Amino acid sequence: MTDQVEPSAPAAPKLEPDFVPEVEKPWLQTWRMFAKNRAALFGLVLLSVIVGMAVLGPTLYPADPYDIVWAPQSPPGTEGFILGTDYLGRDLLAGIIYGSRATLIVGAAAALITIVIGILVGALAGYYRGWVEELLMRITEFFQVLPPLLLAMVLVLLFSPTLVTISIAIGVVSWTATARLARAEFLRIRELEYVKGARSIGARNSRIIWLVILPNAAPPLIVSAAFAVGIAILFEAGLSFLELNDPNIMSWGYMIGSNRPYVLESWWAVTFPGIAIFLTVLAVSLIGDGLNDALNPRLRQR
Amino acid sequence: MVKFKKLATVALTATVGAMFGATMQPQTAQAAPKAGGTLVWVSSQVPRHFNPAVQSGVATMAPGAQLFGFLVRADENWNIHPYLAESWTVSDDGLTVAFKLRKGAKFHDGQEITSADVAFSVATQQANHPFKTSLGAVERVETPDPMTAVFKLKQPHPALLLALSTALAPIIPKHVYGDGQDVKKHPRNVKDLVGSGPFLLKEYKKAQHVIMLKNPNFNSSDGPYLDRIIIKIIRDASARVIAMEKKEAQIFPYMVDSKDIRRLSKSKHIKITDKGYAAIGPVTWLAFNTKDGPTADVRVRQAIAYAIDRNFIINALHGGLSKPATGPIAPGSPFYNGDVETYDFDLDKAKALLDEAGLKPGSDGMRFKLEVDHIPAVPEQQKAIAEYLRPALKKVGIAVRVRNAPDFPTWAKRISGHQFQASMDIVFNWGDPVIGVHRTYLCNNIKKGVIWSNTQQYCNPKVDSILEMAGKETDMAKRVNLYGEFQRIVADDLPLYWINIMPQRTAYHMDLGNPPTSVWGVISPMDQTYWKKQPK
Repeated sequence: MTDQVEPSAPAAPKLEPDFVPEVEKPWLQTWRMFAKNRAALFGLVLLSVIVGMAVLGPTLYPADPYDIVWAPQSPPGTEGFILGTDYLGRDLLAGIIYGSRATLIVGAAAALITIVIGILVGALAGYYRGWVEELLMRITEFFQVLPPLLLAMVLVLLFSPTLVTISIAIGVVSWTATARLARAEFLRIRELEYVKGARSIGARNSRIIWLVILPNAAPPLIVSAAFAVGIAILFEAGLSFLELNDPNIMSWGYMIGSNRPYVLESWWAVTFPGIAIFLTVLAVSLIGDGLNDALNPRLRQR
Repeated sequence: MVKFKKLATVALTATVGAMFGATMQPQTAQAAPKAGGTLVWVSSQVPRHFNPAVQSGVATMAPGAQLFGFLVRADENWNIHPYLAESWTVSDDGLTVAFKLRKGAKFHDGQEITSADVAFSVATQQANHPFKTSLGAVERVETPDPMTAVFKLKQPHPALLLALSTALAPIIPKHVYGDGQDVKKHPRNVKDLVGSGPFLLKEYKKAQHVIMLKNPNFNSSDGPYLDRIIIKIIRDASARVIAMEKKEAQIFPYMVDSKDIRRLSKSKHIKITDKGYAAIGPVTWLAFNTKDGPTADVRVRQAIAYAIDRNFIINALHGGLSKPATGPIAPGSPFYNGDVETYDFDLDKAKALLDEAGLKPGSDGMRFKLEVDHIPAVPEQQKAIAEYLRPALKKVGIAVRVRNAPDFPTWAKRISGHQFQASMDIVFNWGDPVIGVHRTYLCNNIKKGVIWSNTQQYCNPKVDSILEMAGKETDMAKRVNLYGEFQRIVADDLPLYWINIMPQRTAYHMDLGNPPTSVWGVISPMDQTYWKKQPK
């Protein structure tokens, strides 16, 4: 692996230089694997552009997305409004730029909630087994049999729709898959030698769960978190489409929902936010896919 | 010139309404109606039952008007004609109105309709109907003989005949509903319904369809002509439009969405009329809480009115199909007074009024926050306007927050509980101001928990006394003056800002004769409607 070959003392085995490149830092290795996947790289670039738009867009394109700027239902390109206007005459480009913030925040927050609940439930069930597992898995199954979008609608209806309640509702309905995944990982890893080792030297349960097992169970959970972001964005759009959203916060789902009745007269007002959602979910899914490949030890040597 | 003069004299001597009534009766202009055929009618609304004596709303009233007869009926020029009553006389003091019932008129089960049924119907309506003012002036109905019903009034009621001319006052059978059960929950409001009108209830499949058959024993030489009326309930707006386009349905009353109206007007086999709604008077308005918050100050309410561009709403949001409303009474009414403060779009006036009210802009240019509610239905008339208010009022420094309601009861609870700052609303005039207008402005109608009462909590004793006088004045000219004064005062006090008259249209198949175009439209009987040529 090293270019230089020591001219002298060829007999003396120098372990150090030979070993260093072999045990590449894990994150570096992951990145190398990830970077091999062109689609995943494309997803990453796409997501960076979208996040960049959310962060910098308002500075570069200062406008109030709620302002009526031109005649309603003006087609794209009218008077410099490159995406046109909606049924009230609001600039769609401004809507997409400002709406990206709410969409991304809900996506990230809901995914975080999904992951936290899922890992907590799955880890406790998989590690302790017995009645704890019985109880937690029955609860998980209870949530699994409820149709997620309906449950989210009920939750949002019960508490008036705001970004916080929508994020919580989406998180609460979509944690079950993560919980089952985490439980399976914990069930597997808790029987491995190093966990037994940790237990035999007297490590407390909490230490074993969070510091020994969780890091080793992380790769599939990270992948599931990436997919959870995409699902959450779709959920937010679905709820907004059903008008279960905060009309005072611009989001892509809200744009589609409020322009839906006018689709036959102004296709652009639903199409562009739709494309934005599509690209974001695509980017997140491609990244998730790439992470899946990069973090899966069995695929590493390919 | 001579001809013109002559015409003018005729117009002066005859009352305008009577002249039109005599010359524009649709029956006289056309060939005799033919019997037979089925009419499929699309509706968005799900009726709970079919007894309009105890339930308001078009969902119940429209089929109710086919199933039940009334004492009198109205034509498209507000003239009152005999229906189940043959004739009537009004005493000089206006306190006694005696109706002579038509002989041989029977309920669907064959029992004769008598004055006892009339008295029972009025008492039931008074006890159960949400519109307390429509027959509020009736003290009792006397029944000197089975064919005579004498209404004894507490005070003259100028709109009595109009109130009796629609499904607001159906004649219901005493021998069915007088069994001591609560009429509001009576099982026979839906099942085995015994009506008194031109059509019989055949079948009701909840939220799907209503089938009504011709009443063969309806004692009239003139109608009903249709064999069957089927009301198809279709919840999805575009599906209703498509049903009309594909000729699966032939009449679509209460179309309110400008997109639907525009689209159906392109169909060659469909005609669209705005007739049939003159007595409805649906006013879309922005209601203010006049007791709490910034809108308790009349200057703030006026400023908001000046900052709203009514023309934008009408032309850009409603495709030019709605009409401006300038006050509590819809322009179609004979009592309408347009000579009031109309608050034409003027941002400078709005800002000046807000400054005067002491609401100066903060560092972000905003003076105060205003939460705006809206009914979660008829989006073009409600949500779209509420959303328009945000950018519109931002220009004068009011930060609008739109508050969605997930369903109608949630909205109604907020507004009737007075837990709101401002709200979009649609309220119907219901023909005479006594029936549909007074309720919004009277001090004693501030009733917490009752939707479409005086939820603005507006109270002006002068308005109260004018309305009280107008409510019992029988001289038309004097009433017009009283209501003119009333409209001027409330336009200045502005407990609510009247934005527009909701467009209401009926789309119907071009071969349909005598479509429902009276002032009450489909909430009056369709016994005259017929097929000129039956569609396949």
